[in-house]
Amino acid sequence: MKYILISLFLALFSPLILLAQQNIIVTGVISDEFGMPLPGATVIELGTVNGVSTDFDGNYTIEVLEGATLEFSYVGYEPQNILATAENPINISLMPANELEEVVVVAFGTQSKQSIVGSVAVISESDIQSQPATTITQAIQGSVPGINVVNTGGVPGTNPTIRIRGIGSINASAAPLIIVDGAPFNGNLNSIAQEQVASISVLKDASSTSLYGSRGANGVIIVTTKSGTKETPTRISLSTVYGNSNMATPMHDLLGIDDYTRFFWEAFRNKELYENNLSPEAAGAAASSNLISSLAYNPYGIEQPVDSQGNLNGTAAWDTDWKGAILNKNAYKKQHGLSISGGSEKTTFYMGTNYIKEQGQVKTTYFERFATRINVDSEVNDFIKSGLNVSYSTSKQNSPNQSGTSFSNSIQWIYTIPSYYPLYQREAEGTLFKNAGGLPQFDYGSNNSQIVNGVRPALSNENGLGAIMNNEILKTRTYASMNGYIKIELLPELNFKSNIFYERATLDDFRYTHYKFGAASSVQGRVSQDRNFFTTLNAIQTLNYSNTFGLHTLNADAIFESYRLEQDLLDAQGTGYLPNVTVLNGSTVPESVGGAINEERILSAISRLSYNYDNTYFAEVSFRRDGSTKFSKDTRWGNFYSFGGSWILSNESFLDDVAWVDYLKLKFSYGELGNNRNIGFFPYLQVFETGYNQLDNTGVISSEFVDPNLTWEKTALQNIGTEFTLFEGKLKGSIEYYSKESIDLIYDKPLALSTGNESIKTNIGAIKNSGIEFSFNSTVLKKDDLSVDLGINFSFDKNEISDLTQEEFINGTKKWKIGKSLYEFFIRESAGVDSQDGYQMWYKDVLSDDGEPTGERVTTKEFSEATRYYLDKSSLPKMIGGFNTNVSYKNFDLSALINFSFGSYVYDGVYANLMNGFETPGRIGHPDLKNRWQKLGDQTNVPLFLNQQNDFNATSSRFLFKNNYIRVRGLNLGYTFEESWMEKYQIKGLRVYMQGDNLFTFQSHKGIDPEQALSGTTNYRSHQMKTISLGVNLQL
Amino acid sequence: MIKLRATLLVISFLFFTGCEKGYLDEPKPTESVNSSVIFESADGTEAFMSGILRASRSQFDRTDAGGLYSMYFARVVKGNDLVLGQQWYLFDYENNNREPNYTRTIFSWEFPYYMINQLNQFILGINGSANLSEIEKDSFLGQAHAMRAFYYFQLALEFQHTYSYDLTLPAPPIYAEPAIEGKAMSTLGELYDFIVADLNIAIETTPTNRTNKSFINRDVVYAIMARVQLVMGNWQEASNAAAIARQAYPLNANQYRTGFDDINASEWIWGMPQRADQTNYFFIAPHAFTDNINDGYGLAFWNKDFVSLFSATDVRNTFFDIYGVGNGNQYFARASSKFTFDFSSDIPIIRSPEMMLIEIEANARLGKESEAATMLLSFQKNRDANAVSSGNTGDALIEEILLERRKELYGEMGVEWFDAKRLRRGITRTGNHRIGSAANLVPDDKKFFLKIPQKEIDANPNIDESVNSNR
Repeated sequence: MKYILISLFLALFSPLILLAQQNIIVTGVISDEFGMPLPGATVIELGTVNGVSTDFDGNYTIEVLEGATLEFSYVGYEPQNILATAENPINISLMPANELEEVVVVAFGTQSKQSIVGSVAVISESDIQSQPATTITQAIQGSVPGINVVNTGGVPGTNPTIRIRGIGSINASAAPLIIVDGAPFNGNLNSIAQEQVASISVLKDASSTSLYGSRGANGVIIVTTKSGTKETPTRISLSTVYGNSNMATPMHDLLGIDDYTRFFWEAFRNKELYENNLSPEAAGAAASSNLISSLAYNPYGIEQPVDSQGNLNGTAAWDTDWKGAILNKNAYKKQHGLSISGGSEKTTFYMGTNYIKEQGQVKTTYFERFATRINVDSEVNDFIKSGLNVSYSTSKQNSPNQSGTSFSNSIQWIYTIPSYYPLYQREAEGTLFKNAGGLPQFDYGSNNSQIVNGVRPALSNENGLGAIMNNEILKTRTYASMNGYIKIELLPELNFKSNIFYERATLDDFRYTHYKFGAASSVQGRVSQDRNFFTTLNAIQTLNYSNTFGLHTLNADAIFESYRLEQDLLDAQGTGYLPNVTVLNGSTVPESVGGAINEERILSAISRLSYNYDNTYFAEVSFRRDGSTKFSKDTRWGNFYSFGGSWILSNESFLDDVAWVDYLKLKFSYGELGNNRNIGFFPYLQVFETGYNQLDNTGVISSEFVDPNLTWEKTALQNIGTEFTLFEGKLKGSIEYYSKESIDLIYDKPLALSTGNESIKTNIGAIKNSGIEFSFNSTVLKKDDLSVDLGINFSFDKNEISDLTQEEFINGTKKWKIGKSLYEFFIRESAGVDSQDGYQMWYKDVLSDDGEPTGERVTTKEFSEATRYYLDKSSLPKMIGGFNTNVSYKNFDLSALINFSFGSYVYDGVYANLMNGFETPGRIGHPDLKNRWQKLGDQTNVPLFLNQQNDFNATSSRFLFKNNYIRVRGLNLGYTFEESWMEKYQIKGLRVYMQGDNLFTFQSHKGIDPEQALSGTTNYRSHQMKTISLGVNLQL
Repeated sequence: MIKLRATLLVISFLFFTGCEKGYLDEPKPTESVNSSVIFESADGTEAFMSGILRASRSQFDRTDAGGLYSMYFARVVKGNDLVLGQQWYLFDYENNNREPNYTRTIFSWEFPYYMINQLNQFILGINGSANLSEIEKDSFLGQAHAMRAFYYFQLALEFQHTYSYDLTLPAPPIYAEPAIEGKAMSTLGELYDFIVADLNIAIETTPTNRTNKSFINRDVVYAIMARVQLVMGNWQEASNAAAIARQAYPLNANQYRTGFDDINASEWIWGMPQRADQTNYFFIAPHAFTDNINDGYGLAFWNKDFVSLFSATDVRNTFFDIYGVGNGNQYFARASSKFTFDFSSDIPIIRSPEMMLIEIEANARLGKESEAATMLLSFQKNRDANAVSSGNTGDALIEEILLERRKELYGEMGVEWFDAKRLRRGITRTGNHRIGSAANLVPDDKKFFLKIPQKEIDANPNIDESVNSNR
């Protein structure tokens, strides 16, 4: 009894006794399974904030209370817990974490990598953080097979076009669905800071995307933001990056001013000589005397700068370098980030703030963003878990026109206006014009009080630099989201989770056109402003049952989802401004006011069942039914399903003896999914559109013809593949074959123009995409302080039209026909230049008496008579992929990401326009024009110059080029400072690095950025930027 | 106990987020209306007609392909009187803009057919309406038939030879109601029959009152009929129609001094109004292109030969030497102040002087020469106080009338091209042109009409490549 009492007393007072207990010093070495020391491994005294890291040789020393529990951990390895004793050293050997137990974020939850029967690729946190970029999607390019990411244009903050496993839709959106933290994301991707992203999962096949079935036909990208970890001391990390950028690929060359002038003279002379049949002398004289009046400007100061023999006499008083004036030589980029994360036993939190500002290539272009996020998860009590993610981001993007055909597009300007035309306004004699303040002003080419140096023949009433400096196009965006969930455990096997997501994005699109110069000068300036609000509300209720009976494991989900997107649009426009007034209050004449509210809703019921036997045989089936407001009541419900299975061969006894196979899995899946995105809000309703007022009368017109039976676009996806780890973990990889057939495609079928409608949106046709994806990773070298990892992934994709409602139809530079791809060029074939007269020729089929081609061809100089052919060239690449490597040596680390594309063709319309041979005056040309035909017998592929409407540079194979490229997308070289050095300053981690983005590009066709639109046509876009930056990551 | 609480929580959640019946039926389009609103009341129907009129003068495709006014100006520059600088319409000026894939070809086909489709839907909707009264129906139907005839007339002018050449030649297809599938080509004879039939329906039912001069009333119908009959060579019908059309629109030469931009001028029978908040900005033709002073393109000038035909006291002599070249022969030697450009310049379509001249010409051709000569003189005196009778008869009188048409209508609807085409004459370039004889047209020249657009051939199963093989 007494002993019991004493023990009780001791037990009750043990805390006090413990206080009196000794601290002990524990030391040792932590190494991996090979016995190699692990630097930077962590030793933590559980339940406290006391922790250390191992040094370069794996040594650690920690002072703890005797009897405390120490946890030894290292990324990628299984942690171990040991009781602290005074017995030293305590050496620990850590085993690699079973990668297959690694948990991957999938649709509506997580799954172990092993159990996935579908095709899911994951970009891990380390991969994401090793290539910091402005938009998160840059991390995907080249790291996952089967994904084609195309960055069109060089405006920072622009989102790329993403296609997963080919192009599955034509008019409906072919973009994948983006899910952020469990809910569909309708904001702009550039509002998410990459630094705050923990992982990105890409779901490519039917079974993985089936739970998003009604909108997952084109694949799903799941973005998961960072969260805290349980029982970790609070960590603060700071990051800073400074970078400098310029154009990643060179632009096309341009003719110099003297060449331009002489060549234009030749073009005019040729017209007089060959078209109007003047004698050579008369033609030359006519060209000389009409040169200035045709070009309308005279930099040479003499009446006939080119004499009747074509010789240039005179020096130009100006020679404008438009490119230098319009583009930044160097653009800067800077980024700062702060994040704080940590967790107690029950609650974890992550808070991140990030600021970035990046300039673009065209002067005054920039993107600036501030993004904050707070993620909190908590175990409220033993059967309720809850969490809340809140994010807010605001950004400004100033982007003068850099694509398309508006006069103010800076890139089009550089490629159109020769250096012959001045930047600043000139008097008729050529001297510089000075305004009332004694300063020069931009030449807008619209001064019709002067017959010389007054009105520019091309792009008049605009100035390439003036448009940038005097006008403004500013987009201000904000994005706020709240994502909360509560998870209730009803029974150990039965869970209920309710998830509510609210998102509000605003876009303010402000445009100011100058009051005195340019397109709005006649109305004293114009301000046009759009203010749009986008609100999304998503509620998901999930009931999940999961249980194991012996070797059988069963998982069932029943999900109910309601989704609502509301677009609230408002726009206003007014003219008549005083100088420096750019707000609508200052407008004298309101020009227009508009607004509309559009709404879309979806209701869905989803169920999924998955079963596995002994973690070796897996099967999954799911079914989904959705109703959308985009279709009529009769056609709005769609049923989607999928099923799949996998077999882990390596668990079978017959493979036990095969030493070189560590893990081998076979999998297959099939499903039918839907798509209804980007087709408008009520595409099936024939309505009368407002906004066609005639003076004081309200006016409407009838909308285009509609198909009232429009319904869901469906895609049948099939996936067969294998995943393996071979040679004792030295080689990991996967090979997958997929086949996607989109049926009932929603497409704007072209109608005969004489019906008064250009097209009708209907479900027609089918497209098939198929391909094989390969992905291999290997730790090539791991020795002493050096380790080298290599990875390569590539895919071959084929696209084919499998059904159409009419035999064929022409779509711009393509013709769609069963058996052909969506993007196969169908254009006239150039037959070169006739050496007799210098005219361009094309091929034309010889027809038999009943109008059928006989198989023979002749050449013709009538473009409209030339036959169009399939040239077996497509704008879709035959093979795309990427190559990545990670090298670490002592404290240094290097990672590189290269992506490549082979087999696609591009129609370079920019180059075609530069080869126009002076058809119209005032447009620049390419130096390749030097090779033009000049006299009888000349063999060349550049036709003669001709200042008259002609078809020489009309769409033909002459301008169709191979577009293969290899791009070193990212290169990151870093140095992590020594543990011991940092301890002095109480710093837990410090890494400095140098990063290059788009460092090198090897391309088969120079002059354009190899990434153009998927259709393979150019559009006067700015090029992407090559950036070199220095960065620092600090952990406290 | 715990489980009971949990179950209650779950139930309350399901209740909270449960769906209401009709959740998917609620969203409706907010910025458009459906046909029941339009055709069940006169206001709704008038809104549709207003929208159609607005569509005829909006920015359809690009600067030189914006609307009806662009088609007219393209015809103006094909003649000899206007000299165009290096600007929009330059290929029309060179008479070299008719291939199947050129903008002019596609636009001249697509735009009239766009209007015809809207009008077909209009007619179909009215005929099926239960609420409109007979009078309202008739009034609207009249306007629609007249406009449809007008646009088919534009197609006939642009895509085939003139009426008297060969009526069996292929002509643009005729759609009497909305259709999704393209139709085959018609013949020129069928097309003109259809046009005249539509105009006859319109004459019966269109009232004389209208909301404003942009709408069609009975006078406009007669005016269109006069033009059509003139082309067909039916002089008596043309004269009758013209006489009725111009009755309510007395002559008033004043607008030649005030900028030719006001639809309320007494002579304007039909026009396209512009307003600062309903404007085509720089697309407005002819104003933006011929006004050399205000901030438009302003690179159209006038042939010195043409200018020399005006007497000094003719109110229509708006020509001046803008750059001070004196007697020089540069193409920009003579500018005109007839049209003043700003964003609210109204555009004329048909004016009463044209009707009067149709009457005069028709009478002359019918042999009523003295009547014609008298009317001609009174017209000339209205424009020029010092005008005296020329005493011309026979062919000389006809030539004088045709010249008077050029003097009156220069810049407006392409009078030279219109007359040369219907009378099967050529157009010869003289004087100080920038592009001279290279742009000449011979009588019955193919360049008077366009090829069929490639896009149409591509998408229309009933029209194939062969349609362009002899164009």
